[in-house]
Amino acid sequence: MKVRKSYLLLGSVTIWILLGRLLHGKNTLQLDTYENTSFTSFVGQKALDLRGNRTESPAFIYFFNPIRGVIDGFVQLIRNLIAVPAPNSVIPVIGWLGVVGIIAFAVYATSQWRTALLSVSLLLACGALGMWQFTMDSIAMTLAAVLLSLAIGIPLGIWAGLSDRVLKILTPFLDLAQILPTLVYMAPIALVFMIGAASATIATMIYSIPIAIRITSHAIRNLNQSPVEAAQSMGSTQKQTLTKVQIPMAKQMIVLGINQTVMAAVSFVVVAALIGAPGLGKPVIEALIIRNVGQGFVAGFAVVFLAILLDRSTSAAAKRQDSFIPPTEKQIKLKRITLIGSALLAVVSVFLSRTMLWAAVWPKEVSIAPQVAKVTNNATAWILENLKIFTVGFKDLISYSILNPLESQLSASPWYVTVAMIIALALIIGGTRIAILAFVLAMAIVLSGLWYEAMLTLTQTIVGCLLTMIVGIALGIWTGRSDRAERVLRPFLDAGQTLPAFVYLVPMLGLFGPTRFTAIATGIVYAIPVVVKIVCEGIRAVPHSLVEAATAAGSTTRQIITKVQLPAAKKTILLATNQGLIYVLAVVVIGGFVGAGGLGYLVIVGNSKPELQGKGLIAGAAILLLGVIFDRIMQAGARRSS
Amino acid sequence: MKSLFGRRSAIVTVAIAAALVLSGCSKSVNDSAGGASGDCGSWAIAMHAWGGYTASAQVVTEVAKQELGCTITQTTLDEGPTTYDAMEAGTIDVIIEDWGGGRWKDWTDRGAVVEAGENGNIGIIGMYVAPWMVEKYPDITDSKNLNKYASLFKTADSGGKGAWFEGPAGYTTIGEKMVAANKLNFKVIFSGSEAALVDGFLNAEKNKTPFIGYAWQPWTLHSKLPTLEAARVKFPANDWSKPEEASGLTDYPSTPLIKLISKKLNDANNPFTSLVKNFKWTNADQNGVAADLESGMTAEEAAKKWIAANTATVNSWLGK
Repeated sequence: MKVRKSYLLLGSVTIWILLGRLLHGKNTLQLDTYENTSFTSFVGQKALDLRGNRTESPAFIYFFNPIRGVIDGFVQLIRNLIAVPAPNSVIPVIGWLGVVGIIAFAVYATSQWRTALLSVSLLLACGALGMWQFTMDSIAMTLAAVLLSLAIGIPLGIWAGLSDRVLKILTPFLDLAQILPTLVYMAPIALVFMIGAASATIATMIYSIPIAIRITSHAIRNLNQSPVEAAQSMGSTQKQTLTKVQIPMAKQMIVLGINQTVMAAVSFVVVAALIGAPGLGKPVIEALIIRNVGQGFVAGFAVVFLAILLDRSTSAAAKRQDSFIPPTEKQIKLKRITLIGSALLAVVSVFLSRTMLWAAVWPKEVSIAPQVAKVTNNATAWILENLKIFTVGFKDLISYSILNPLESQLSASPWYVTVAMIIALALIIGGTRIAILAFVLAMAIVLSGLWYEAMLTLTQTIVGCLLTMIVGIALGIWTGRSDRAERVLRPFLDAGQTLPAFVYLVPMLGLFGPTRFTAIATGIVYAIPVVVKIVCEGIRAVPHSLVEAATAAGSTTRQIITKVQLPAAKKTILLATNQGLIYVLAVVVIGGFVGAGGLGYLVIVGNSKPELQGKGLIAGAAILLLGVIFDRIMQAGARRSS
Repeated sequence: MKSLFGRRSAIVTVAIAAALVLSGCSKSVNDSAGGASGDCGSWAIAMHAWGGYTASAQVVTEVAKQELGCTITQTTLDEGPTTYDAMEAGTIDVIIEDWGGGRWKDWTDRGAVVEAGENGNIGIIGMYVAPWMVEKYPDITDSKNLNKYASLFKTADSGGKGAWFEGPAGYTTIGEKMVAANKLNFKVIFSGSEAALVDGFLNAEKNKTPFIGYAWQPWTLHSKLPTLEAARVKFPANDWSKPEEASGLTDYPSTPLIKLISKKLNDANNPFTSLVKNFKWTNADQNGVAADLESGMTAEEAAKKWIAANTATVNSWLGK
């Protein structure tokens, strides 16, 4: 059965290649970038009408505009508190010293002094990078988005945790939101809520609410059921069971959900700047524009620091109650005294930050930004100077050997041949239902008129995913087998996951020039950490007894890896491939900024040219369809392989 | 454990309450800092994606802050519709340089956006080869000869044809039409950002590799490649009175660049309104400030430097 499946796959791919060669260049549905179909111009006209209607249409007056107003006001309130001058004032309500004091106290109160110290140092580092106000703006935006996400996500999550039907209705949306590349839904949101803090907050929420819902419902569902049943048998009402038993028991898991929600919101900080969000994204994007790698890294470091700060402080709060050794009387007393002390310190620092200018506005002289920028600029210049020969050679090698043949196969074959191949793949890997889904979605792309561009993007995604998996599986095996390797790589993986892709887009541009490969390389860097982490976990989850048995039977290390660990971790590796593909897709489309073309470029150009707006919106939808097709096929494959 | 936690939350609550009370009643630092906010108010300038724009916007910002005491915020935004929308929504008040040639018409017709005159810069767009090529192949700047050299421009990405690097997304581009109408053996590659083009031109010049790309004036790249203007490829002239019908057998027209302001700012009719309306300078002015920016000066420093050296011009904007 297994063998037959792979023969079938091989067979259908061969037929696809032969047919593609035979009918090369026919029915490719290629369209000039500036050409519209009647469908794209129709959507463009609708979008234009929507813009014109914003002041008159009841949907806007009574629905969208009030939402925008409320969220804008909420964000502005938080910004006035810590980031921008409050009304009738030249400083925010709380100056920098006050913010440091409050955060130190809050983190100390919810976890330990070490985390508090770390948080304060990271915060001061952001200031020293000359990014104080941007950092505060980002904190304000993140805070607003997280609070609103939790206000919606936790109740929905609890509901989904209690009711199977609600979970069933929500799941497709949750899946969709996780596949959705960020670049895609910003244009529609900006169309309705306009550029600014409100749009950015809503875009962030779309990204972070699903995580809050998922983890909360998971927390409720995976509770130890005996206390719940005991409460019910003693006659508790449903409400009593929920508030007195289920929620308190799920509390720790829900706090973890808060942590994940915060991290999702932070990862949006840079992209949100594309639709006018104040904060650290602004200098990052500007650095891309004026090609200042150093400045980009300075701001990028601040984003990473902020992410670490928020991660450690919220995850420490989640872990706090893990200890089972009750504190001694003395410890409690000590903690109480230091708590009161640090509270006093916080109050004093807030007071100072409202009365003393030095404590209110971050002193400009205290800045290491120029030095950091200079060092990174010099380092990048050196790397570009010395590595360019290799990088350009490597780029050309990949381009001629993989990229060009694949692109010609995908984009120059008739559309019906490739659609048939996708359906065949779906049928073999996932079964009839998946095949029908793939057919419907692929036809939607064909009918949208953007098939050709979609194939360009698909080519880049596949090549990127391929290279990601080669590196990711190798590193994943290494870290999965050795604790030391994991310790060494961990910080890089964490940083790689938080460093915004825009930051290294410019150095990549320097290395590979304005080409498709620049987009691919950026996607690879973005996707590798998550792939490594998943593969590593998969390898670690392989039962020790299996490995030991193989070792005892005299297997070499290589045999253990290829014959025992990899096959046993097959499902995880398939899932990692899926994640890799989705991650690469999300970033490859940003490659439209650096000459990669494809659907991503259409999204970008649609944002700035009214005549291409419809095409841009549809291109966004097509990216999503591509993502869903391959996500579904691979998920089904992973399910079946277990 | 339980009591510790309970006690702790009590302390947290008290401390936060104390901080809030303090922040409510303590004497604000404003009195000591002394904000200079005259009758100018606070306004937002859109910051677009190119070095020259930053130069113009920063100079206006500095003059408005120093001479008029306005509060100016700068918001980075994509050019075109997104910014017009923001102006309609009231979050942006000034676009100091728009190349769009009337694409704002829907918004000005509604009265949401108001034209505030030309800013003095003349926008020139064209296709340029890397300057070293002009010396080696003198006839390359005539579009009729481009096909002869097409094979030089081949890259891994251009599918056997020459690679034609088109301008960034928001810019006026007609490359596909030009290639089709002139039957050029080139493939249009959308470089997507200014950074990509700068990178392309500089590398080509340094390594003496062939390159043809979209470039414009005023642009900071000219200060790094002084001979770039001579490397412009000339296409047959055409009638540009109806741009949407232009066949593409043509070059880009030169465009006087326009300032746009929000209805709110126009209605306010205060000193800042007239500063923006009066603002006018030359391509050389803008290139100078932009070059300082590229060389690592902050926008603020570069703008202040120019303002100090050009008091007469600044005074004329202020109506002094």
